[in-house]
Amino acid sequence: MVVPLISIILLAPLAAFAIFALFGLAKRSFPRQDILSTAAMLVALGCSLYLLTEVVPKPDPYTVEWISLGSVTFSMGFYLDSVTVIMLIVVTLVSSLVHIFSIGYMHGDPRYPRFFAFLSLFSFSMLFLVVSDNLLGIYIGWELVGLCSYLLIGFWFEKDSAANACKKAFLTTRVGDVGMFIGMMMLFKKFETLSLHGTNGIFTLIADPAKFTGDTSDIVWLSGAGVLIFCGAVGKSAQVPLHTWLPDAMEGPTPVSALIHAATMVAAGVYLTARMFPILTPSSSLVIAYVGGITAIVAATIAIVRFDIKRVLAYSTVSQLGFMMLALGAGSYVAGLFHLTTHAFFKALLFLGSGSVIHAFHAMHAHHDEEHAEGNQHEHDDHGLVHEHGSEIPPDQDMRNMGGLRRKMPWTFGTMLIATLSISGVPFIFSGFWSKDKILAGVLGRAMEWNSVHHYILFAVALVAAGITAFYMFRLIFMTFFGEPRNQEMHNMAHESPWVMTVPLVILAILSFPVVNTIWFNKDYIKPPDQHHVQAPQHADISPNNKTGKVDFGFSIFGISEAHAAEDESENADDAHHGHGPAHTIAMVLSIIVAGLGILLSWLFYHKRRFSAESVATTFRPVYTLFWNKYYFDEFYNGVLVALTVWKSRLFAKFDLSIIDGIVNGVATVTRAVFAAFIGFFDNRVIDGIVNRVAKVIWSVGGRIRRIQTGAIQTYLFVVLGGIVLIILIFRVL
Amino acid sequence: MDQILLSLMIFIPLLGMIVVLLLPREQEELIKRATLAFTLIPLILAVYLFINYNTSTANTQYFVSVPWIDTFHINYHVGIDGLSVTLLLLTALLGPICVLASWRNIEKGLKAYMALFLLLETGMLGFFAALDLFLFFVFFELTLLPMYFLIGVWGGPRREYAAIKFFLYTLFGSVLMLVAIIAVYLNSGAPDARTFDIPTLITLASTPGHALADPGFQMWVFLGFFIGFAVKVPIFPFHTWLPDAHVEAPTAISVILAGVLLKMGTYGFVRINMAMFPEGLDIFTNGDGILGHSLALLGFINIVYGSFCALAQTDFKKLVAYSSIGHMGFVILGLAARNPEGINGAVLQMFNHGVISAMLFLLVGVLYDRAHHREINGFGGLGSRMPIYTGITTLAFMASLGLPGLSGFWGEALSLLGAFQEFEILTILSTIGIVVGAAYFLWTLQRVFLGALNPKYEELPEINRREIVTLVPLGILTIVLGMFPSIAINMFYVSVSNLVGIIN
Repeated sequence: MVVPLISIILLAPLAAFAIFALFGLAKRSFPRQDILSTAAMLVALGCSLYLLTEVVPKPDPYTVEWISLGSVTFSMGFYLDSVTVIMLIVVTLVSSLVHIFSIGYMHGDPRYPRFFAFLSLFSFSMLFLVVSDNLLGIYIGWELVGLCSYLLIGFWFEKDSAANACKKAFLTTRVGDVGMFIGMMMLFKKFETLSLHGTNGIFTLIADPAKFTGDTSDIVWLSGAGVLIFCGAVGKSAQVPLHTWLPDAMEGPTPVSALIHAATMVAAGVYLTARMFPILTPSSSLVIAYVGGITAIVAATIAIVRFDIKRVLAYSTVSQLGFMMLALGAGSYVAGLFHLTTHAFFKALLFLGSGSVIHAFHAMHAHHDEEHAEGNQHEHDDHGLVHEHGSEIPPDQDMRNMGGLRRKMPWTFGTMLIATLSISGVPFIFSGFWSKDKILAGVLGRAMEWNSVHHYILFAVALVAAGITAFYMFRLIFMTFFGEPRNQEMHNMAHESPWVMTVPLVILAILSFPVVNTIWFNKDYIKPPDQHHVQAPQHADISPNNKTGKVDFGFSIFGISEAHAAEDESENADDAHHGHGPAHTIAMVLSIIVAGLGILLSWLFYHKRRFSAESVATTFRPVYTLFWNKYYFDEFYNGVLVALTVWKSRLFAKFDLSIIDGIVNGVATVTRAVFAAFIGFFDNRVIDGIVNRVAKVIWSVGGRIRRIQTGAIQTYLFVVLGGIVLIILIFRVL
Repeated sequence: MDQILLSLMIFIPLLGMIVVLLLPREQEELIKRATLAFTLIPLILAVYLFINYNTSTANTQYFVSVPWIDTFHINYHVGIDGLSVTLLLLTALLGPICVLASWRNIEKGLKAYMALFLLLETGMLGFFAALDLFLFFVFFELTLLPMYFLIGVWGGPRREYAAIKFFLYTLFGSVLMLVAIIAVYLNSGAPDARTFDIPTLITLASTPGHALADPGFQMWVFLGFFIGFAVKVPIFPFHTWLPDAHVEAPTAISVILAGVLLKMGTYGFVRINMAMFPEGLDIFTNGDGILGHSLALLGFINIVYGSFCALAQTDFKKLVAYSSIGHMGFVILGLAARNPEGINGAVLQMFNHGVISAMLFLLVGVLYDRAHHREINGFGGLGSRMPIYTGITTLAFMASLGLPGLSGFWGEALSLLGAFQEFEILTILSTIGIVVGAAYFLWTLQRVFLGALNPKYEELPEINRREIVTLVPLGILTIVLGMFPSIAINMFYVSVSNLVGIIN
């Protein structure tokens, strides 16, 4: 049943897109593309739910040979384990709800059918990525979701900001993807396959001493491959330093932000990193942990000072993705994936909620139409590859225009509040608390267990970031829904959204309670895969901490002995029975304290107005400026990297035109002069063969081509034909 | 019966040329229809050959060998293997598409244009089927003359310069090739046992002790052939004819140029340089020093240099032309790897680049026919005016920048995968081309199609049915081969394995 069901899951949305494309070629559109795409998604959701019953503990991949080169083959296939099925459900569920929400949100857009078709294509690509059992398939899905992201960010491409944002997203993620491809090439060189699971998969071969000896050079190679594959995740999951595209991606319609840039595609990097867990060495894990930790704190600090409601959420997403990466880097496999699913629901809810607010101001369509009308008169200028990104915030997304909306939009307010409580880590009754707590406990657990300074630092960073999260999320809630309306005119227009939009909000709000996430508390359902990379039986008895038969190779990049990786990963993920009680308790207490502190401060600043954010900003001017300018990443990229690339390309082109082509023309001139003298000196008939031909071309054809008329060509053609016949005859006679 | 099919395919366009020449000049519709018919027949035959080709063996199929010029042991020897049947299909497919693309925009001398086009097609088809070195050279040269006139007479403002440059450049290459051919012939045996027969020469060249097997000799003839083909590919620094020729050539001729003529260079390299001179190949691809990396280095330069130059262009057609230089670099890189992944990837890239670059040039032509210029910065916002055209262009751009799921990806990916086994650093550096490739295509997409509609083009008509018909078969190929690359790979991987066996 597995293969047919997965096929349906993939083909339903693909068919919905194909129908759009075929109608499009005939200059028509399918009458109800919205219903078609939504139905396809619901079918996929149903099949995904049914697949829950098909999960077995140690599944084999379902593969089929895709390319054979004789000695080398590449296969494609599906792999269904508990993680796959959870991802399938998350993607199809969020996607279905976003489809339904969009029926209301996108109503009246001139490209309404196209929007749904793109959503379908995205869903297909994302699902393909999730079910693929090998790196090649994952890479294909990976790039296709990137394409869909490009198309949807640029959905309102008349806006220059959207046109810039979609290009930026594609190019930034492609930088990471190239790293990922290099990592794949490294794995291929070592293992001669790109399959992950099954008897000939990398995860099996890595334990085979014939393929992978486990000596230092092998471990270095594997660490390099791991970090490079992680580069793909850095791009797609918007980790520092490739995070800058995600906030700009908010130029896309808000349902797109919810589905692609919060719940699913950006989480694909986390999914990939989790999938690659068995090949991560301690060195590459530490890189991942640091990237995640830095991302978590950097993005959180930027989020504090944003006024655009969508940008706050975007930076929040970046920060939360950093938490997930940190978890995986610290070996907490389950915690990372758990947070992925809880975050998918509450962040999708937050985005859709913000969409509901934007829709309430009813400025979306007006704004769009206005843009459209303006565009036609717009002075057409030369778009540079370098853009000064304007910091103007659309009025309907500016929190400084909001306030007091809770009475006008009770459903939106209520559901968004639940999501905010969840992401802030308010204890016990919200899912976000449990997943974030598991991450913090995992990092602290590793720090205590390894006595690792790195992980203590990372724990502290994560704790601070968690506090900031609570702060900026409540800032958003207070500024949007509490207090007095700041813009009375817009406030008067505001209204609660129609049911097609609020129902998805309510469903997502229910999903923000831990009751539906109980699957993650079941210790037997999700088992972290073994990390084989330091398993080497021949050294088994010289290891000082030979608890699990894995050993210390004495190889280290960051000062952590590789031996520590030999610890069973499940110890962190499953802290109860391995003596991590203290870590868990400490982490939980601390996380409750920082969340409380964050909410309290936010309340004092933005509700009670006991402190003024402006005066704090003035006091800490340099810090504020740094946060406001997003650590100057964009300035660096545009001013240095992009400018350098463009400059280099102009240099190359100039070199091509003046040097290379100059030499060619120079040679031609010289040759021509020489031949001219030559021909002038000797009789024409002396020169034969090759020289004659060259001379003729330069001398006569070159001069006469101006006079060539089509009649002459016909003569020429007859001559050629006659010539061929003549040559054949002559040689025959000879 | 089967034996004659291949020759029929090659010479039907020549027959078409005679027919077209005999038609009255005023009957333009008739001339066009006749030309279309005479290009459709080879396509049908090519499809037949493609389907009936026995993929399980590397042996030459459908071969015909009859004496032609006995004095010099020249035979009319044609036949196909997996490599040639794939490229024959590409050539035959682009034939009718180019005729359709020339339907409305050839303003003078339609009859001569069509006649020359048919002559060109015979030259190309013959080239990919020839198995006699002399015949091979004749067909190689046969493409040169019609091309020269097609650019020089029907081209843009600087057509004369471009045509002469193209002609002299190629001639320079083919002179060296001719010298190498003669050298091979003279060394192939005793005066009465000399031969031009390619399969025989391949066997002789790998017979220990034979004059042809001498590494020193192989190195020199290798270089002779290499330069001849390098001009065609084109490989840096022999590439500057290409942007000029493309910019001046009419749309259909650009399509042929990028789609087929460039592949003649790489095909010749595989067929002659790699198969016949493995010792020579060894010197340039298998060693520690710079010499052993030289071919891979050229591939790398092509990729990076072509991509960066493309990024700087503001002429749409010139941009596509430079992108071709970059993409052909992947073919070189893959071939330099000499392993199954690399060579299969390279051959696949030849076919896919043929299809994709044909699409790109057709699309540039569609826009040029409407706006009468190709300045990328002179457009803007066409996405809202021409949605179908924009959609097809996006498809072609994505295929060209190597998006997985579309055909362009597989050739590049396999070439890189193969090259990485042999040249790690060069391959990693070559991936810069992938990022820059995305940059110039997306930047172009933005400047031409996104943003507010340029008021000058508010009335620009959408792509018409005839133009869609020329693009759809190519678009379907990029999608189908993107999903199922094995359809193409299965045709030639056995032949490639055989080649890998000869090399190593």
